[in-house]
Amino acid sequence: MRLRSLLHKELIQFFRDPVVLFLIFWLYTIEVVICAYALGMEMRDLPLAVVDADGSPASRRLVDDFIAGGNFRLAAHLRDVAAAKPYLERGKAQAVLIIPVDFERELYRGGGQALQFLVDGSNANTAAVARGYALQTVEAFRMRQGTLDERPRATVTAQLRTWYNPDQTNVNFTVLAMIALAGLMTGVVHPAASIVREKEVGTIEQLMVTPIRRGELFIAKTVPTLLIGLVAVLPSLALVGWFGVPVRGSLPLFLALTALFLFSAIALGVLVAAVSRTLQQALLLAFFGLFPLMFLSGTVVPVENMPPLLQRLSLASPLRHYLEITLGIFLKGVGMEILWPHALALVAIGMPLYLGAWLIFRRLS
Amino acid sequence: MTAAIRTTGLGRRFASRQVLTGVELDVRQGEIFGLLGPDGAGKTTLMQLLAAILDPSEGQAEVLGFDTVRQAAEVNARVGYMSQEFTLYDRLSVLENLQFAARIRDVAPDGFRRRSRELLAMAGLQDVLDRPAGKLSGGMRKKLSLCANLIHAPPLLLLDELSLGVDPVSRRDLWRLLRRYRDDGSTVVVSTPYMDEAEYCDRLAFLDQGWVLAVDSPAQLRARVQGRIYDVRTAMSAAVQAILRDVPEVLNLQWLADRLRIQLHAGADLPPAILARLRGLATLASAAPGLEEAFIALSTAQAPAAPPPVTPAVTETQGGEVRAERLSVRFGDFTAVDRVSVSVSPGEVIGWLGPNGAGKTTLIRVFCGLLMPSDGEAFVAGLSVTAQAQALRGRIGYMSQRFSLYPDLTVAENLRFFAGAYGLGGMRRRQAIEWASGMTALTGMETRRVSELSAAVRQRLALACSILHGPAVLFLDEPTSGVDPLNRQRFWQLIQTLASGGMTVFVTTHYLEEASYCHRLGLMHQGRLVALGTLEQLRQALRLPADAGMEAVFLGHLERTQRELAS
Amino acid sequence: MNPKRIAAVATKEAKEVLRDPITVGVALIMPLVMLLLFGYAITLDVDDIPMGVLDQDRTPTSRQLSEAFTASETFRLERELSDPQAMERALQHGEIRLALVIPPGFERALARHEPSPVQLLVDGIYSATATLVGGHALAITGSFGHAAPSSALHLETRVWYNPSLSSVHTVVPGLYAVILMAFPPLLTALALVREKESGTIAQIYASPLSSVEFLAGKLMPYAIIAFVQMAMVIGVGFLWFGVPFRGSVAFLLAISLLYVLCTLGIGLLVSAVTHTQLVALLAVLIVTLMPSLLFSGMLFPIFTMPYVVQLYTLAFPGRYFVDISRGVVLKGVGLEVLWPSIAIVAVYTLLVFALAVWRLKKKVA
Repeated sequence: MRLRSLLHKELIQFFRDPVVLFLIFWLYTIEVVICAYALGMEMRDLPLAVVDADGSPASRRLVDDFIAGGNFRLAAHLRDVAAAKPYLERGKAQAVLIIPVDFERELYRGGGQALQFLVDGSNANTAAVARGYALQTVEAFRMRQGTLDERPRATVTAQLRTWYNPDQTNVNFTVLAMIALAGLMTGVVHPAASIVREKEVGTIEQLMVTPIRRGELFIAKTVPTLLIGLVAVLPSLALVGWFGVPVRGSLPLFLALTALFLFSAIALGVLVAAVSRTLQQALLLAFFGLFPLMFLSGTVVPVENMPPLLQRLSLASPLRHYLEITLGIFLKGVGMEILWPHALALVAIGMPLYLGAWLIFRRLS
Repeated sequence: MTAAIRTTGLGRRFASRQVLTGVELDVRQGEIFGLLGPDGAGKTTLMQLLAAILDPSEGQAEVLGFDTVRQAAEVNARVGYMSQEFTLYDRLSVLENLQFAARIRDVAPDGFRRRSRELLAMAGLQDVLDRPAGKLSGGMRKKLSLCANLIHAPPLLLLDELSLGVDPVSRRDLWRLLRRYRDDGSTVVVSTPYMDEAEYCDRLAFLDQGWVLAVDSPAQLRARVQGRIYDVRTAMSAAVQAILRDVPEVLNLQWLADRLRIQLHAGADLPPAILARLRGLATLASAAPGLEEAFIALSTAQAPAAPPPVTPAVTETQGGEVRAERLSVRFGDFTAVDRVSVSVSPGEVIGWLGPNGAGKTTLIRVFCGLLMPSDGEAFVAGLSVTAQAQALRGRIGYMSQRFSLYPDLTVAENLRFFAGAYGLGGMRRRQAIEWASGMTALTGMETRRVSELSAAVRQRLALACSILHGPAVLFLDEPTSGVDPLNRQRFWQLIQTLASGGMTVFVTTHYLEEASYCHRLGLMHQGRLVALGTLEQLRQALRLPADAGMEAVFLGHLERTQRELAS
Repeated sequence: MNPKRIAAVATKEAKEVLRDPITVGVALIMPLVMLLLFGYAITLDVDDIPMGVLDQDRTPTSRQLSEAFTASETFRLERELSDPQAMERALQHGEIRLALVIPPGFERALARHEPSPVQLLVDGIYSATATLVGGHALAITGSFGHAAPSSALHLETRVWYNPSLSSVHTVVPGLYAVILMAFPPLLTALALVREKESGTIAQIYASPLSSVEFLAGKLMPYAIIAFVQMAMVIGVGFLWFGVPFRGSVAFLLAISLLYVLCTLGIGLLVSAVTHTQLVALLAVLIVTLMPSLLFSGMLFPIFTMPYVVQLYTLAFPGRYFVDISRGVVLKGVGLEVLWPSIAIVAVYTLLVFALAVWRLKKKVA
């Protein structure tokens, strides 16, 4: 009876709390959409300036090859390299392609010659991607020219195939990463907010003089979040459909593992509530305290690009394991046979956190 | 005498809600002018209009000769305004708070040195100059706020609910400061919910629902209800109440610890038939009216209805004795409760008084099983607070001064939740809710959210939530702070009803006039129980005359204790 | 304007802030944490990519090809794969990011000058990395079999401003914009609302202080904190991460001053229009932290975003400051190039302050 009353109360309160409702709604929908649209796009339309000193059919074909894929957008035709400088300085062009005189002649003669590609390195990632595109374009161009070449030549033709994400868009990844992130925030923010609010209003003291046991209160503060977290995932599954993210694995497995993940996130939320006195402190802690956790998860940058120390640290972030699970189920279509180490890790991270949360909670009330 | 404040047709609307209407005030220079009125009467709005930090919707106000709209900056520069909330920066020390107040008001450094020394000495704050304001007691904070508003020697001081939550000792100090200040020729406007405080004002304005009902001196106001107040002493309180309840001539019926008090409508007399029925049951004696009676007579609100007859759920309450034996609570070196022994019998209402920090709340927390005593033992409803805390919780009710309710739940949802928290289900839960909400006159409000209720209704709901399970002992920690006199009276009727049904009520309060509702009083000071007994016994202990007010009794005992401690 | 009153407000505010360890901690430690995390973790530099080789040819030539991969610094041979199933598993587990499949008869075909296809399988989950990996791999296969690269058409890339393509060099200057946008507004936003919530604002209203004096005094301590943050971030950026500084330090500091005023002003404006600390906190997170992280071009280049989002980014001063900061630090340009961005920030600042003063009337309602 007592527990039922508590659970009932928690659910009513959840639906009446505009701040937390707004936050969860924001995290699971608007943020996912914004990020998917803004960040999920593959890098395209890089503004490219061209210095074509040759002006031959072959050089024009090469420029066309650059533009055709949509990776580059022609920003300007320049007369010489000196003119390129202001373009790069002002950010009007990200890269400059310089085609030397006699490009066509040398191409048919098969002599060695170098195309120059100037890249604005001030955004290292953009620059690296631009270089990658340029390399691919020139390779493809060379191979096609090779077949025009009259003399037979030794060639290795490589077929490049991208798995799991053939369009090479970032949308799939961004949508899933944001959903994972939303799960973390919900799992942490909701229990923290609901506990801290009882502290603020003074009702926690009132509860202490009723026969409600601490265990009951603890369950009442954690179980609803688990349910809410699971329910809140559903609308974002609609977004998954909207963005055409493939669902290759099993959804029930995804929900089950989401519950497991929420379990450790909730423990964090109780810990946050234990150390904060006001809702504001709790939110600050949740946002900034979780920042490193999020950072080390691979949602922002791939884990393997990090230095070894951070890579090892990232194993302690439940979000990292959840992200691997989410990507695995949706994009790779794998099941427990591959994901079990991550599930196990979630349990291993969650148990001590939960235990700690319970100990703190007991002292708190 | 020139006017410090003159308002004509002053009114203010918030959205569609008219908060103040047609206020015509004339405050003279050099007087203490009181604003008295129930919750939501518009006192705070009026104060803000006078401080020129709120513009009126209609009419105008002239403060110290300046128009509050066109010359707001001039008004701001000359008045001291103390709002109801604390106006101090918690992280700044006493001196720093005062310095800040002085510097934003262009007080010269040497003027500041002189005045601050004077004010701090007068307020008794000279020894805590470096303490952060957040660590001061409520009384000290109010005194510091007052000093901060006096630092630039404003010719007019506006004080909103000056002594809300302040204990009687600090209240006396505050008023000492105010009177000094008035005697220097300045003007004070103060709003207050305390009747005894209103007595200190030179003149009073009664506000109700945005209207000024009367402006007069306290003596004149009391004179208006002279001869309409009677004390009814009886051994059969219930029977007498039943007779008097529905008599049309009776405006108000108050149920005090040792007597009933009735107030008649203007020009009315008790009909002979009623007098005849009372004969033999009770003795009637004319009583001197207080401001509270004047307030009730003026107020347009209906006098509180008497609570419905006691239902069986309450009369079942039994075994609600409370016993403490040399109970001590220590936090490190600090002794919060020092060897307190007390025994309360079932059905008794015991009032627990004392300055802030005397240990009242700590004691209640021990009785509720929230805090382990360092020494001694206590039994509540026959259960040991140390060994049987879990069982104890089902037998007691607790209501804190913050009216701890869930603001985002409705009245009914709060009731249902707390009933469930006490393990009540199904039929028993329905009955308990019906009984408690009927008793506290919440019927019809079930679907309202707590956040939109007035303090008075929240107070009744908090009470309802704490008695759902029919506790043997009810603990009330300053249950009436922030509630106006009318609703306070109504609340006490409920308490008397519960007590007459056998429930033991243990209550702490800062409102000394409420002592007359308690069967016995305990006075705490520095953790020790320094006096215990009926009001009469406490008076006699000091050899005070029989008409000595509660304040004299309270302060007298505290002073005697201090003398004893000193010697 | 009375300087004494402003000083009174400023000293009061400074004392309050200094006595709040949580705020000071967040203000001084979080920027460094952010800087270190971003500096170390955000890097899409591709080196040491784990790869697998499925060599079905098992000839000297096929071994040469796989050695061509492992000899480069970009790739590291994680494992030899025995069959396609093993390859699939390795990709699924994320053990390898690239698989090279050399079909039987590879050597023979090559000897006969016939096209000899190999397969390159890239894990596409992180699309930016995938592009780079693919580009590098193609370049290796393309040049395979030629005596020297000069003998054929090849691309010579030159990266300006950041020749090593180090992500740190990109991230650190961009991070100034984010950190100065994230923390100063947070502090000022809460500062004013806190007075509203606790009721101390009434004392201010009912005093001779004017709105401008009050705001100016309030601002000062936070401006100082913000400058300390800026100095710290710039100092750590150059001394610790060794970011080169090509432009004028004094110039960057001067512009930062303007930018910090702008961000503080945004905080004040949020503070002036909100009533609770909680709402102010959320508002700040949504109008400053998120956009400056996502829509400033600091991590994600703006030209890849959809057009609507690009317009949206124009509304946040962070994007202009990223341009300015990268311009000064990496490109070594000055006023002559950056004046449009600087002018926009200046106008923005004025506007924000005007709005804040206008909104903070000295009335309770």
